[in-house]
Amino acid sequence: MQSNRVKIDSLCAEYDAGGMDRRSFLKKMGLLGVAAVVANAVSLSSLGAKAAFAQISGAEERAWELAKVAAAKASKKTLTLLIPTGSIGNMTPYVDKWKNELGITLEFIEEPDEVVHTKGMQEAVAKTGRYDVMMPTAMSYPDWIDSGVIYDLTEWTEQHQPDLFHKEWGVVFPASHHAQLYNGRVAGLLNDGDQITLLCRDDYLQHPDKQKAFADKYGYPLAVPSTWGEYYNLAEFMHDPANKFYGSLEYRSPYYVKWMFMQRLVSKGRLYFDGDMNPTFNSEEGVAALEDMLKMNQFLHPDAFSFTWSSNYNAFGRGEGFMNIVWPSGFKYSKAPSTGPATTGKIAATVMPADILKDGTKLYAGLFCWGYGYAVSRYSANPELAYAYAQWMTSPTISADAIPYLGGYSDPYRINHMLKPTQRLIDTYSPEYLQTLYDNMVNTVPDFCIPGGFEYQDALDKQVHACMTGDKKPKDALDEAAKAFDRITRRIGKDKVKKSWLALAKNLAEPIRKASGADQWS
Amino acid sequence: MHAKKLSPLLAVVMGLALAVTLFPVFWIVMTAIKPPTDWNASPAIWIPSEPTHINFLTLFDPEAIGAYGVGGVSQSATKAVWGSVRASIIATALSVSIGLLSAIGITRYGNGSKIAPLVILSGRMFPPAAIAVPFVIIFSNVGLTDSYVGLIAIYAAATLPFSTWMLKSFVEDLPREVEEAAMIDGRSRLMAHLTVTIPLIRGGIFATTLFIFILNWSEFMFSLVLSYTNISTIPVQLARYVTATAGTLYGVQAALAVLAMVPLMLMGYLIQSHLARGMTFGAIKQ
Repeated sequence: MQSNRVKIDSLCAEYDAGGMDRRSFLKKMGLLGVAAVVANAVSLSSLGAKAAFAQISGAEERAWELAKVAAAKASKKTLTLLIPTGSIGNMTPYVDKWKNELGITLEFIEEPDEVVHTKGMQEAVAKTGRYDVMMPTAMSYPDWIDSGVIYDLTEWTEQHQPDLFHKEWGVVFPASHHAQLYNGRVAGLLNDGDQITLLCRDDYLQHPDKQKAFADKYGYPLAVPSTWGEYYNLAEFMHDPANKFYGSLEYRSPYYVKWMFMQRLVSKGRLYFDGDMNPTFNSEEGVAALEDMLKMNQFLHPDAFSFTWSSNYNAFGRGEGFMNIVWPSGFKYSKAPSTGPATTGKIAATVMPADILKDGTKLYAGLFCWGYGYAVSRYSANPELAYAYAQWMTSPTISADAIPYLGGYSDPYRINHMLKPTQRLIDTYSPEYLQTLYDNMVNTVPDFCIPGGFEYQDALDKQVHACMTGDKKPKDALDEAAKAFDRITRRIGKDKVKKSWLALAKNLAEPIRKASGADQWS
Repeated sequence: MHAKKLSPLLAVVMGLALAVTLFPVFWIVMTAIKPPTDWNASPAIWIPSEPTHINFLTLFDPEAIGAYGVGGVSQSATKAVWGSVRASIIATALSVSIGLLSAIGITRYGNGSKIAPLVILSGRMFPPAAIAVPFVIIFSNVGLTDSYVGLIAIYAAATLPFSTWMLKSFVEDLPREVEEAAMIDGRSRLMAHLTVTIPLIRGGIFATTLFIFILNWSEFMFSLVLSYTNISTIPVQLARYVTATAGTLYGVQAALAVLAMVPLMLMGYLIQSHLARGMTFGAIKQ
């Protein structure tokens, strides 16, 4: 049956379009090897024959069948992947299967993560065809689609059903939309659930003397913080520089510091722009966010201004701080005895703290930052095979198998990864942390996944960093960033960016849309 | 002849300058022999208590660092080392050879025209980042991306202005009469240059060669944008030592950096007498 997949798909499409009667459809499906009971169910489905047939087999199987057909047709028997350095560990376990069963050699071109976007833009002009699959972050999709370097995957996803939005095993909403779609069309398939969560040292939280001292001082029990105010109190209480133990390890270093600001901003119910592309961070809330960060500086690790993710994880793993704001990989680091000698078995994780809005609402918001995915190069010699690889690797089943492998960045992103995890996922993370990831992800706001996204982020990062180092006052820094944003918007074209921004803002958690006013945008 | 004694103040200043200059080298060498647990230790470990050669081994056997529980290194540095050797040597030879011919031509036969040297120099007036992508487009159209031929061509082109201008100053400082005397003795112009000009500016040629080699050896931008799978160089390979499980592999990066220093130090040592002459050539005008 599956060898005739392409014919079956076109037959279903013809039937859906009214091109034949049911009797002819059933007969032709039978000739293509489809069982009568399946053909009958498909023909009667309210989803339409094509979608119903796609659901009969899983996303993994559908991708594999497509891969078999595409591999057989392919003249070039190598599939080349542009991937960020350090991510290969999630892909290498499947190299043999693709070679042995499909005759396809998987070739990986590793580039530093900050170079992948540039390499993609370079391919847009060079058109070398050296890449089949490209692995950018979600922020690259708008520029890559607009430059024509990657395919719009929508038609393939409609045809082969990767189960992106399935209610039980789809990608968690809203990441399902903001990390995969551009202007409502599928640009890439997410393979990495990058979001930041908060880690605390549970051994300190459970210490009776500390519990008493904390309750005496602050008037409420010692626990993981649920608000930014509580986060500040905890940092202040636990900060013990004499013993080289610091309140928190959040970032103040260039490139990373913007995310600390963006997180606080969205917690205050502000997004980056209003509905007409006017920057909104140089507002009362934005200034308050920067002032909160400046206030926190006294309780941070002394290396906060130079942290990269790896030095940050290592410092936390060595036991040099009470709290840390980390990507899910940071939890893995803290859990593993080799990278978290002082933290293994001693971590309590929670969603990012909420903020109390003016109307008294407690708003939980998270930040989906970075997040790799697979895109298909428009200059690939075998685009269908490249798509099949992307769907296969990100299918609910294979992705659940791939994520726990060490040596890759891939973190949970599908509902089944978090709510119905495999034992290996549980062993790699923990049931509690997977639940935390889910609870946090449903409230995430994305990076600047709009045209010029990297430019906006860089402009913001520079000014936030200048403020943290004392070079600029909060309002001045944010006004400067807002001016840069306006320039970028003008240069790219306001209508184009606005369309993309509104599409992005449409798919956010309802409380965030309400708090930011995005629910009123047309 | 007695060597002059340094005054105490000058000795202190020179000592400080030396310490500042050599500290990064010391730190890189120490990091190269540190085990992974010491790379990022706090407080910093200056001299490892248990030096290891594992970082050097990992350069050529990516699995080696697994002995310390670090995984995810997928690439050997062998291709990058040979790539750098090949591209730098050939590109330097090309650049210096063409630069020498240009220098002699401009100085001796240019009729004092300043246009040609300026045109040659204009190649360096653009930042490499600005011309990298146009080069990629041109090279992809002629099949030169991801090839050593392409990389060597761009290295030679990018360093040619330096080699031409450096060598031009050396040729200018050589009295024209020396060549003319050789021609009066019956040598052709070409032979006069081959047997008189070139040997007499040998120091300058060595100094230029070393300088151009260093430029090519440490070049990152063009190598990064032109490489896919077939070619690699040391600077690009350095940026690739990042793993998901251990972050940046500082020790392995340092080991490759130490390895990268060796040819430069060796070259500098072997030609140091010429180098000193080359650097001071022309200090005393005729």
